[in-house]
Amino acid sequence: MKIIACYNIKGGIGKTATTVNLAYLASQEGAKTLVWDLDPQGAASFYFRIKPKVKKGGKGLLTGKKELDDVIKGTDFENLDLVPADFSYRNLDLELDDFKNADKQIRKLLKPLRQEYDYVFLDCPPSVSLVSENILVAADIIMVPTIPTTLSLRTLDQIIEFCKKIGIAQSKILMFFSMVDIRKKLHKEILEIPAKNIKALKTSIPYASDVEKMGLHRQPAPVFASQSRSVKAYQALWHETKRYMAEDVRGE
Amino acid sequence: MRRIQFAIKHNIGTKYIFELLAKEYPRNEKHQVRIHRQYLDSFDWRMHQNSYVCGTDDNDAVKNFFLEKSETGECVYTLPLSETPKFSQDIPHAKCRRLLEGILEIRALIGAASVTIRQRQLLILDNQHKTLIRLHVESYTIPGCTGLQAIPGRLMVFPVRGYKKVLHGVVQYISEQLRLSPVETNLLDEILVVIGKVPAPAALDVTKKLSGSLNTWQAAQILFSDLLNVMQANEQGLRDAIDTEFLHDYRVALRRTRSLLTQIKHLFPSKELEYFKQEFYWLGLITSPTRDLDVYLLKFDNYDKVLPVALRDDLVPFRQFLRRHWKAEHTRLCEALNSKRYRKLIREWKRILQRRSIQSPQTFNAKNPAKQVANQRILKLYRKVLKEGGAIAPESPDEDLHELRKTCKKFRYLMEFFQSYYPSDQIKRLIKNLKMLQDNLGDFQDLCVQTQQLSDFAQQMQDEGLVDTKTIMAMGVLVQNLVTRKETVRRHFSERFKEFSSAERVMEFKTAFSCANTLEGAPA
Repeated sequence: MKIIACYNIKGGIGKTATTVNLAYLASQEGAKTLVWDLDPQGAASFYFRIKPKVKKGGKGLLTGKKELDDVIKGTDFENLDLVPADFSYRNLDLELDDFKNADKQIRKLLKPLRQEYDYVFLDCPPSVSLVSENILVAADIIMVPTIPTTLSLRTLDQIIEFCKKIGIAQSKILMFFSMVDIRKKLHKEILEIPAKNIKALKTSIPYASDVEKMGLHRQPAPVFASQSRSVKAYQALWHETKRYMAEDVRGE
Repeated sequence: MRRIQFAIKHNIGTKYIFELLAKEYPRNEKHQVRIHRQYLDSFDWRMHQNSYVCGTDDNDAVKNFFLEKSETGECVYTLPLSETPKFSQDIPHAKCRRLLEGILEIRALIGAASVTIRQRQLLILDNQHKTLIRLHVESYTIPGCTGLQAIPGRLMVFPVRGYKKVLHGVVQYISEQLRLSPVETNLLDEILVVIGKVPAPAALDVTKKLSGSLNTWQAAQILFSDLLNVMQANEQGLRDAIDTEFLHDYRVALRRTRSLLTQIKHLFPSKELEYFKQEFYWLGLITSPTRDLDVYLLKFDNYDKVLPVALRDDLVPFRQFLRRHWKAEHTRLCEALNSKRYRKLIREWKRILQRRSIQSPQTFNAKNPAKQVANQRILKLYRKVLKEGGAIAPESPDEDLHELRKTCKKFRYLMEFFQSYYPSDQIKRLIKNLKMLQDNLGDFQDLCVQTQQLSDFAQQMQDEGLVDTKTIMAMGVLVQNLVTRKETVRRHFSERFKEFSSAERVMEFKTAFSCANTLEGAPA
């Protein structure tokens, strides 16, 4: 089982769209896939038309009153399940703080599922917190969508620094450009600068209305716009990510 | 998740059931699709025997490979594939591939049955338009089957994880209001009954009970007929080169036939015996080259692993050489199987096997009790194994081990053929013990042949002008590796033989074959 986190401190840069679309593409290849919507805003749950509610909340999961396995919901798609968001996740930081090994609790919760799923995608809240730390520790791969702007690049440096501080191997971080508008000069220039000290994927995701329409359709983009430019970009991104993971295609 | 299935009797009709369901659950989404399903299994029904069902569903738009547990109907994997997979390695999903590898090994998947499914799908939705449960109402058409043989339709309930209440409600409605009964049998099993296929491997059942009252000719008739059936069942598969096991199983049955033919003396008139010995020997000869090349091609990945990464590409011409020669040899084999000579052999053999009894002074064993004749022969071979094995010293030539290997094989075949005459536990232990010795001898022989044949191949490739120095060097590394392994295997022989001929094992043999006073020359 590979755990893939989609993370950034900034919001609105395409984390949830990336999580939902990549998870969908993985599942359609036959891989058993789980998305855990850890963002209390519940956007991933919304895309899958699933109520953002977990019985006994985040605390129930952490204290073992409720198993993660019991709160999984099947989506409308074969091989693709979801752990929905819950409004109580906003307090997850405080609850995690009560635990010994507070930074390893999410990994521990996912452990029993390793035989069942090939991929687990974690959709993360945009913050630097104990929840983020848990997610970064649990993940085998940390995908960081980045808009090609100066401020976003600065944020990327901060993420790298944060990871270094908490002992996360830099090789786990995969940066890719998201919401790219090639008509913008700055975007074009930044895209041409080679990344330093970090693995940057070649594929970038264009700024496209299809991705925005996911909220309208409440479905992954490949379901309603399979031939669109953005979907093709997500497919390329998924293939590149798999290659990077150096695992057997569609299975590990 | 496990699906639940209900049978829809012919007189009710699938359309009617579908309409009732749609009316009961008005917040729904409907689809209709026609699926061409092909069930796949190996020739020897390995999937079926391991309680799995697999196949492809083709609805013109997409082709999906599915793998499910036959007892529970739980879908283990569904994956899109552009082509019907033939071998486990054609499956891209790693876990699914490993599961299939464990079951199929080197066997190919072939069509086991096919069915056209008219599927009406009903998705029951919530107020967010989210699917809570999927219902499929299916009717089936089996190609080539008449209306009378039609199998009843099914209502399949596919629960969606996390919506247990909905599932309970729907199942209750189906059972109580629609009064449909659940079905436990897998659809494939029903189809197999209709088309008259029995999912049983066409292999020799060596555990078959031979009655104690049979005379030797009657017992031999049963054994020879079974062996001929195995050969004939595998013939088409080896002609079509579906997988290498068809030829392998054909040759094993042939070898057993030849062994039985020569081991049970005075069963055939001498002229007849000579004819069949010669012709079955010929059949062995014409099937050998293709089998040898099969083995090299199967071992090729191991050869690759033996070499340093830098040298692996240098072996590519060798693989091409093997493939090219395999093609030529296989064509030659098929020509031989189409020949008058082969047809005559099989025709004559069948005629002989239908003969009731043999009245001739040359065939006095035919009327003797099979158990008595088998016992004498097994005993004789056991003594021979002990004698030949006991005479092998570290400096003995390789040929001595080769001879012992052949004797062990004959001994094993006889024990297996007539095992029902002896206490089951004891005979199994003896066979297991013999098998350990045979493994060592078999490995040694394989390595001897490979060492020699690889050198011959290298020479042949040079003669054909199709090889460069790099390939010859890479093959040289392989030969060197084989020589080292051969020496190791040879060193282990004495240890294996010591175990086989230990006092304890000899005593076990004596007990099983009630021959306490007849084992002269046994080391114990």
